[in-house]
Order: sequence, then structure tokens, then C-alpha cells
Amino acid sequence: MTWAVLSLLLAGAGVTAAISVVSVIGGLLLGIAICGASLARSRALRGCAAVYVSFFRGVPLLVQLLLLYHALPRLGLDLPGIAAAVLGLTLCTAAYQAETLRGGFVNVPAGLIEAGRIVGMTARQIMLRVRAPIALRLTLPAVVNEAILILKASSLVSVVGVADLTRTAQNIASSNYRPIETFAAAGALYLLLNIVVGGAGAGLGRMVGRGR
Amino acid sequence: MNLELIRASIPEIIDGLGFTLLMWLPGSALALALGLLVAILRHYGGPALDRGLQALLGVLRGTPFLVQIFLLYYGGPFIGWDFDAPTAGLLGLSVYGAAYFAEIIRGGLAAVPRGHVEAAACVGMTRAQTLRRVLLPEMALLILPSTINMLIVLMKETAVLSIITVPELTAVITGIGSLHFAYAEAAFMLAVCYWGLTEATGLLGRGLERRLQRFRLA
Amino acid sequence: MTAPAIRLSGVCKNYGTHRAIDGVDLVVQPGEVACLIGPSGSGKSTLLRCMAFLEEHDDGLIEIAGDPLGFAPGENGRIRLPDREIARVRRSIGMVFQQFNLWPHRTALGNVSEALRFVLRLLRPAAERRAMAYLDRVGLADRAGHYPSQLSGGQQQRVAIARALALEPRIMLFDEPTSSLDPELTGEVLGVMRGLAADGMTMVIVTHEIGFAAHVAQHVVFLEQGRIALEGSASAVFRRPWNPRLARFLETYLDRGASMLIAPEQSDGA
Ligand SMILES: Nc1ncnc2c1ncn2[C@@H]1O[C@H](COP(=O)(O)OP(=O)(O)O)[C@@H](O)[C@H]1O
Ligand SMILES: [Mg+2]
Repeated sequence: MTWAVLSLLLAGAGVTAAISVVSVIGGLLLGIAICGASLARSRALRGCAAVYVSFFRGVPLLVQLLLLYHALPRLGLDLPGIAAAVLGLTLCTAAYQAETLRGGFVNVPAGLIEAGRIVGMTARQIMLRVRAPIALRLTLPAVVNEAILILKASSLVSVVGVADLTRTAQNIASSNYRPIETFAAAGALYLLLNIVVGGAGAGLGRMVGRGR
Repeated sequence: MNLELIRASIPEIIDGLGFTLLMWLPGSALALALGLLVAILRHYGGPALDRGLQALLGVLRGTPFLVQIFLLYYGGPFIGWDFDAPTAGLLGLSVYGAAYFAEIIRGGLAAVPRGHVEAAACVGMTRAQTLRRVLLPEMALLILPSTINMLIVLMKETAVLSIITVPELTAVITGIGSLHFAYAEAAFMLAVCYWGLTEATGLLGRGLERRLQRFRLA
Repeated sequence: MTAPAIRLSGVCKNYGTHRAIDGVDLVVQPGEVACLIGPSGSGKSTLLRCMAFLEEHDDGLIEIAGDPLGFAPGENGRIRLPDREIARVRRSIGMVFQQFNLWPHRTALGNVSEALRFVLRLLRPAAERRAMAYLDRVGLADRAGHYPSQLSGGQQQRVAIARALALEPRIMLFDEPTSSLDPELTGEVLGVMRGLAADGMTMVIVTHEIGFAAHVAQHVVFLEQGRIALEGSASAVFRRPWNPRLARFLETYLDRGASMLIAPEQSDGA
């Protein structure tokens, strides 16, 4: 493994990391909105949220990416590959994050909510001051887990032409005819990124976990 | 892609669907069997084996399926594993799934109340009988929801096999699409097919869970 | 003279450096009902679990009807008996747990017949016939097809008793059999146990039902910090030698059926 090859892979890993971070954060924000819709009083909103979650969790990410990459230009929206990739990952992870958030909200013990009501909080106050913080705390581990999943799933953006870690490894392997060490090195870099994400998640967990 | 084109392609699409199922069902069954084996080895096999397997599972769960498949399909021939695409796909899917099933099953075994195992010891069951008659069935009930979830994950991962040219649904339909310059329609049709398949799996799974509800303590 | 049903001599059990059972000597005669009482953490469960060999004692000797359980004294220290011998000796012991521990994937009948079929190797019809007889004995013949999730706590515990009885043990061990039941359900379980006592079953019972203990037990053992602090007949232990620690322990039970200590003729209320 030469330095040139390694630096190419590292650059690919940088792209993978960047795409994943942007998507997970975007997905969290969108996920919060979808979770809100799924807990809304309006049936129509709840229905939309359910269909969204079902679709993006039920269709392979590869197919979602193909759909975005090919269908958006038809709608007059000609995104470069990397934008389609980030959009695809964001839409997909948002569905998963909305579901975990919803689980967090639903699992806030009823007694804590009643305690808020007893001391005279309004529904809004209970939502913002009791349910949301507890739900976020409950779901943080799942969000970190989701970040790791997205990191791995992002390898599929290679099919829409983005030069991420997997695509870079593929290019290298097809020119140096050393697929074993090239893909093994790519795998090792993914593991390294995992460890970084896991560590960041643990740090975040400690920060949020104070006052538990 | 107009209706006429779809109608003309139906035989091919059915072949592709067949290939998808051929990857998915045997692949999942193998994954489950292999995962069970690994979980039992970890449960009874002593700390050294446990740590070794744990590291291996960590690598398999920490790297993308696509990279694993590339390694197997393109790297395999260099060490004498010259599999064709479907074989490599089936093998890769099984090993990948096994890594997750092993963890699910290990969690399930750990979640069986110790008292249920002690009760088996008290009525004189051997270790093998306790495993077969108490631990495994109770574990199976406990892991049913995550198993169904994993089956859906594996169904979706079969689409990735199109990248190494396994002629499954995604490969067939994108092939038809590019032949007629109807990429978007092909992708749309794919989405509908997979959505149907995963929803149906989820529906069957939830039905099964409901039917097995009475085996479950509170 | 026949051997005692259970004989413990110098039994010790450690958890790490913590000594949970510290040199217990105890004899339970055939047909005797012995109640183990004592504060939480005093080692009652541990001692009972040693008698079922669910915990392996670290020192001392446990004999069941004269046969050593788990370990036999050897020339240099004790020797561990082969698994088959352990299983044979254990066969004369039945155990009932606080948490019932019914297998959730088997019906009441399945729970009782499972070991008959797969341990005693009875054919299914014979196993089920015998299982039904024992379910009937605990008053649950009409619930044979129910799964544990469909039974009340008291019913579950009675199925657990039938499961143990069906193997026809000579000794029954009970670890707080009514402690996880609602108060109104303890009666049905205590009733079954009283029936067993009347039939002459040898029983060792860990219980907080002091009233029940005072009425049914011939032999009461007060355990404290892994040692037997006091033992004797029910009336001797509960009334005469007002050991101050026992008195303090019993005070906490005055509200729970131990009022019979003041008016001994009352029923145990169960
Ligand atoms: N599996 C175990 N590991 C470590 N310590 C234990 C274990 N089981 C019991 N102990 C300890 O042994 C002592 C006796 O416990 P136990 O027999 O359960 O008491 P009791 O049933 O009288 O409440 C306690 O101090 C308890 O903490
Ligand atoms: Mg106890």
C-alpha cells in the first residue's frame, strides 16, 4: 500500500465522513419535524408521517438514490451527484430518526407528565420542559447508532458517482489489481470512522446525561 | 416506461424477483443458522473464543455490506475463492446477516430469565435439554420482532447485489430502464416493488407476533 | 433408624469474599415441615438453593436421605460427584420459586408434563395423565390448556407446585412462594401447601408468612447473617426464648399475621 493510494483513500474517507455528518444532522432536524407530525392531532398529518416513514424504511437506499438521481432532473431539478447523495441519505435517515424519537416520546413515563400537570404546567410547557428533554435523552443512543448505520449506508452513494471511500477503493482496486488489500484498507477506515462516531456519541451522552 | 413496455418485460421481471427471493430466503436462513451457531459458541465456548468472535462480529458489523461484497467477489479469486456473482452474493449476505443475528440471539439468550433455566435444572433436565426445550424456544419468542426487522434489512440489502451483477430485481429493472432510456420510471417501479415486499413481510411478521402473544409473560 | 430427609453439616457458601452461609448445621426429619425465617439478606434463599444444588456449597456436607448431594467427603478433602449421581440425588427434591418461573411457551399442562416426558421419558399420554392428576390436586384441572400469561399469579404458583410435585419428590423446597402475590391470592397457595403438609410431605419453606409458619411448621429456623441464630419447635421459637433479635425481627411482622403470637389460638388468616 503506497502513500499515494493511502492518501487517496483518506480523501475518500473525508468525503464519506462529510456526507454522513451532514446527512445525520439534516436527518435529525427533518426527523424531529416528521416525529412532530406523527404525534399531531390532525389525522392527515399523522397519515403523511406514517407513509413517509414506511416508504423510506421499506425501500432499499440504493433504489431511493437511483430514484432521486434520475427522477429529480425530470422535475427540472438537476442536482449534482453529491447533492443527490446527501439528500437521499438525509431523507432516509430522517424516517428512522423520526421513529426512534417517536418511541422516545411515547415511552416518557405517564407519571412524569401527570406530575407536570399537577404543578399546573400547560400542555406546551409539558411538551417543551418535560417530554422533549426526556425523549431526547432516551433516544440519544439510538441516534448515535443511526449515525454509524448511515456511515456504512453512505457507501451506496458510489452508484450516483460520488467519490466516497468505497468508490475510491473501487477505482484503486480496478487499476492496481489488488482488491484484497485495497478493500481491506477501506474497511479498516470505516471501522476507524465508526470508533470516532462512537466516541463522539459517548461524549455527547455524558454531556446530556448529567442531571439524570 | 409505458404500460406496454412493462407488460413485455413481465417475464424478465418475474425472473428478477425470483432471483431476489433466491438470495433473500436461503441467505436469511443461512444467516440465522450461522448466527445461532456463533451465539451458542459465545454462550458456552469460554472467554477466549468469545472475545475472538466478538472482534470478528465487530468488523462485520462495522463495515459496509458493499465493501464486504467487493472484497469477497473481487478479492476472492486471488485466494482461490472464484465464486460466480450469485454464489458470492448468497455467501456475503449470509455472513453479513449472521453477524447481526448472532448479536440478536445472544441478547435473546441473555434475556431469558435465569429462574426459567433453574426450574429446568430442578426438574432434572440436562444442559442440552434445557437449551433445546427452554432456552431456545424462549429466546426465539423474545427475538421475533428484531428477527423480522432483520429479515426486512436483508431483503433491502439484496438490492446491493445488483452492483456485482447478480441478476436480481434491481439489476433486471434498471437494465430494462437503461435499454429504453427510462431510468426514472425503472427506479419508480423498483421502489414500488420493494415497498410492497417489505410491507408484506412486516405485515406477516406482525401477524405472527400477535398470534404468539399468549406465549409471552406480561 | 432411617436417615434424616436432609442433613446439613458445616455448610458454607461464599460469594467472592462475602460469606453468605457460614457453617450451618441442620437436620430435617422425614414428614417434617421446616420454616426458614430471618431478615432480608440473611441467606435464606442461598441456603435453600444449596439444598437444591442450584448453588454449589463451598464447604461442608449436604445429605439427602443419607446420600451426599454434589460433594462427598474424600480422603483429602471432598470430591465432586459425577453429574449423573447429582441428578439422581436431586430427583428426590422439588423446588418452588418466588417468581414461579413457569416456561411461558408451554401451557399449564405442558409445564407439568415437560419433565415427565423428557426427563422421566414417559410417553405423552401417560405424562399428560399424570400431569392432569397433579393439576387437579392444586385445583387447576380446568386451566390445563392456559398459558402462563393467561393465569393469575396464584394460579401460576399452583401450576409451579404441580410441576414440582409431578416428579414425585420426597422433599419440597419453597422460596418465598407467596411473596410476589397479591395478598388475596396468597391464601390459595398456602392452602395447597397446608394440604401437602397434612399428607406428610417433607418441606422446607422460606416464608414471611409468620402466621402460616407458626401453624404449619414443626420446626422453625431463624437465620441471621448466614448462621442459625435460633431453632426449635414453632412454639419454642415464637414464644418462649424471647431472643431479642428474633423479637425485633418478629415485631416487623405484627401487622402481617404474626398477631397470633399475642393470641395464639387465632387462625393464620390465610
Ligand atoms: N448471586 C449472588 N452473588 C453475590 N452475592 C449474593 C448472590 N446471591 C446472594 N448474595 C448475597 O448473599 C447474601 C444472602 O442472600 P440471600 O440468600 O438471597 O438472602 P435472603 O434470601 O435471606 O434475603 C446477601 O448478602 C446477598 O447480597
Ligand atoms: Mg430470598
